[in-house]
Amino acid sequence: MSEHVNADATQMSGGRTASEAIVVMEGVHKKYKKFSALKGVDLKVAKQEVVVIIGPSGSGKSTLIRCINRLEEHDEGRIIVDGIELTLDIRNIEEVRKETGMVFQNFNLFPHLTVLSNVAIGPRQVRKMSKAKSEELARELLTRVKIPEQAVKFPAQLSGGQQQRVAIARALAMKPKVMLFDEPTSALDPEMINEVLDVIKELAKDGMTMIVVTHEMGFAREVADRVVFMSDGEIVEVGTPSELFDHPKDPRTQKFLSQIL
Amino acid sequence: MRTWLRRNLFRTWWDALLTIVFSGVALWAMWSVFRFVVFTGRWEIIDVNLTLLLVGRFPKDSLWLLYGVVTATAFWGAAVLGGGEVAGALAPSRAERLMLAVRRFGLLVAVGFVLVALAGVQESIWFVVAIVAALALGRQVKKWRRKITALRQLPAVIWHGVLALAPVVMMVLTIRSADMRLWGGFLINFYLAFLSILLCFPLGILLALGRRSSLPMVRLVCAIYIEAVRGAPLFVLLLLSGVALNFFLPPQIDPGPVFRSVTVFTLFTAAYLAEIVRGGLQSIPKGQTEAGRALGLPTLKIIFLVTLPQALRNVIPAQIGQFISLFKDTTLAGAALSIVEMLKISQAITKQDAFLGRGYIYEVLAFAGLLFWVGSFVMSKESQRVEKKLGVGQR
Amino acid sequence: MLQFFILLSVASVLYWLWNNYRLNVAQSKIPTNFQFLDNPSSFSLPGNALDQSAPVRRAFVQGLLNTLRVSIAGILLALLIGTLVGIGRLSKNFAVRTVSGTYVEILRNLPLLLLLTFMNLAVVLKLFPRIESAWVPLELFVISNRGIAIPWFVGSGTTLLIILGCCIAAMILVSSCCKVYSNRTGKKVRTILISGAVFIVVMVAGWSLFGFNLTLPVVNERGSLGGIRIDPSYFALLVSLVLYTSSHVAEIVRGSILAVPKGQGEAADAIALEPIKKMQLVILPQAFRVAMPALGNQSLNLIKNSSLGAAISYFELTQIAQITVGNGSPAVPAFTLTLIVYLAISLMSSLIINIVNRRLALVER
Repeated sequence: MSEHVNADATQMSGGRTASEAIVVMEGVHKKYKKFSALKGVDLKVAKQEVVVIIGPSGSGKSTLIRCINRLEEHDEGRIIVDGIELTLDIRNIEEVRKETGMVFQNFNLFPHLTVLSNVAIGPRQVRKMSKAKSEELARELLTRVKIPEQAVKFPAQLSGGQQQRVAIARALAMKPKVMLFDEPTSALDPEMINEVLDVIKELAKDGMTMIVVTHEMGFAREVADRVVFMSDGEIVEVGTPSELFDHPKDPRTQKFLSQIL
Repeated sequence: MRTWLRRNLFRTWWDALLTIVFSGVALWAMWSVFRFVVFTGRWEIIDVNLTLLLVGRFPKDSLWLLYGVVTATAFWGAAVLGGGEVAGALAPSRAERLMLAVRRFGLLVAVGFVLVALAGVQESIWFVVAIVAALALGRQVKKWRRKITALRQLPAVIWHGVLALAPVVMMVLTIRSADMRLWGGFLINFYLAFLSILLCFPLGILLALGRRSSLPMVRLVCAIYIEAVRGAPLFVLLLLSGVALNFFLPPQIDPGPVFRSVTVFTLFTAAYLAEIVRGGLQSIPKGQTEAGRALGLPTLKIIFLVTLPQALRNVIPAQIGQFISLFKDTTLAGAALSIVEMLKISQAITKQDAFLGRGYIYEVLAFAGLLFWVGSFVMSKESQRVEKKLGVGQR
Repeated sequence: MLQFFILLSVASVLYWLWNNYRLNVAQSKIPTNFQFLDNPSSFSLPGNALDQSAPVRRAFVQGLLNTLRVSIAGILLALLIGTLVGIGRLSKNFAVRTVSGTYVEILRNLPLLLLLTFMNLAVVLKLFPRIESAWVPLELFVISNRGIAIPWFVGSGTTLLIILGCCIAAMILVSSCCKVYSNRTGKKVRTILISGAVFIVVMVAGWSLFGFNLTLPVVNERGSLGGIRIDPSYFALLVSLVLYTSSHVAEIVRGSILAVPKGQGEAADAIALEPIKKMQLVILPQAFRVAMPALGNQSLNLIKNSSLGAAISYFELTQIAQITVGNGSPAVPAFTLTLIVYLAISLMSSLIINIVNRRLALVER
């Protein structure tokens, strides 16, 4: 059994100071019937920090971030987002979801709404903005992800890379404090991966707190403040990109990296 | 336990209100039904008329033939159906297999017990013993086929043909023994459905193929037939067959009501089956036909050896659904024609001298409803099992 | 070659049938044209202005109207109840889920004729009391085995339609104002409550303006006086059709909601849409697109199943046909006419459903 790794924000790159944790996970367990997906995970993510989670499939990476916005319910342990603890109380859950934005592997855009409506629906229905204001905000965000001209089209008419950028705009429209990315480029054709990664890199530069699950190691090296390696439902090793990629300590990390890089 | 209650019943105050209202209604309903079945229901009417309800005026001394049909079918079913045995570590334990069997056949067995309790005659006990023996014999025969080399080498056609002889012979004997006008009750519902299903199969497949034919006249005729039949209510067609069929046949032929209703059911269901099969054929990727052509097969062979078997397999659940509807619609034959099927008998026995005017309608409709409901429910559960097993309907 | 042979055999079978028909008709001297429509009907329908001397064609028209009356009401109620039960079957609440599931499983597997017989014989004729001891709930209704009497107005029918039109127009106007206001300021406006209130206000104003009187049914020896009486067989037929069809609708709705990809619900959750909004804006629009063809099919089935009214003497189209044939109209033309009418209704409804389907289809690349 490896030592239990406690992933606090002790070292950061880029000269940013360590601030209070905006996402706190303590002793989180999750079981599906007999199978343990998460076995005692501890993670603290600070404001404006970019954490990249890597690991083999089935290691629990997606389950981890899906627990943060309650798409999955954790069985034991505590999860606290921006001071709000996730419990059975539905009001807490909705508050947390307002402060977290999620980008899915399969985009999950609403096919019956235009691109503009897709982005505007959050602010309109949840933040109770007027129709005009929410559409204005939507156009701004579409410009920010560099596809303002697609506003009146329907998602099925866009390429995969464009759809994912719309999904990012939709998540940003809620002005979240934390952005969660669940393998954002895994379903894209290779030539479109970069356009999406560029958008994510810009978000990081603008200071957004992000937790990204991905297989793109080059991206991780460039953007991450910390890299977390997970395997079999546990956090195995944590470190800065240079630490983890160049000098991995745990044999499981070494094995995984040797297969990928 | 407390967390389950909280999560599933009392999440919010609105949730709690819904729980209270719905549970209240449910408990009241369950109590009323329980009270009706156990205490206030006067079940003598079913007791006395059980034979009438189940087989009509089928002659009592020929009843053993019916028992024979059921037993023979049980034997054939056990010998032919059932999935392959899984051996080794994955094989379910005895207890698990028992649980599965209970889940699958429990309802049928329970209803069987109810009927036996009502009939209460010695011969029904013998009947039950015979069925159990037939099932056991069938499983054993199946094992012999696997284990004894001589049997295993018999070609499938001969093996299945011989096995199927048992029920088929019994059925033919039964049909020839008693005058069909004496048949009635649940037996006739079964008979109508069974015969119509058998006959509508070839017609439905032909219609489906015809609708996709390259010859425009054939396509038109089939399309007109299918659309016309699908737009007409079955009840009106049955009424029509009662009064108008005579006009289309030479005056010497005066078919009985059973013939008329089977004709209508067959022609009706064939049109619906044609649409189902056509949908199945359309879902077969073009690559299949192309592969057949690449092998040099003539078009007809491609249809019957490649596309049609796959299409039929893909739409098994829809076919079973159609047959369940047919089974339930056999009640219409009683209302439209002078066939004494079970629903009609149920209403008739409330007018017998001993039971007239005392509100026995609840008991008889409950009994009739139970039998129809169990038949339909079991068939649809089997259809779901088949769906899951074949993985059909899952993309 | 094979096709030619098939065509030939089909044609010869048809010819043989047609020949028999001609011979039999010539022998029996029953006319085979549609002239019977002009004969006097020699029966009367209760509650209608149809007497014994009216031509048969008027009876048929009346039958058609009755069919449409029960079908339209049935389709609306079945869709409404079925959708609610279908959604209820997917509820997180165990009690709601189980009760909805039981409702569907029980009703789906029963024959419609059995339900109808039960409603007719066991409920309407047995349960409902005789007129001497009729139920009078809330002093507003009179329920007996002669029907259900509800309060109704006394006044011209066309004026009522005008008032109804004004009510609906006012509702639409008010709800568009509400929508504009809510779009401009983003505040939540209880549109449904407000337009509902407007409807009632305009309705009451219109009634009092035109001197409409509400009559309450009151029991007298032969029935109920005042108000309007819902025919017991109409009631039985409507309830059976609604119960039966709603269980199928519930299954279709449930299947279509499950067919919406799981990710859609998750995306709606991720932007914190509350559950009702999530259903209304994301799940149901997509589910209904999937369910449309099957729901259209069920509506057609309901229309065809209304022909079972003939089994309980409700005077819809099939029952009329049976009665006129019993009174001497030739059987084949009468039933052929009935079939043609049903076919026409079927084809028209299919056409409407296809148009709606095409309009609603999701935009593809």
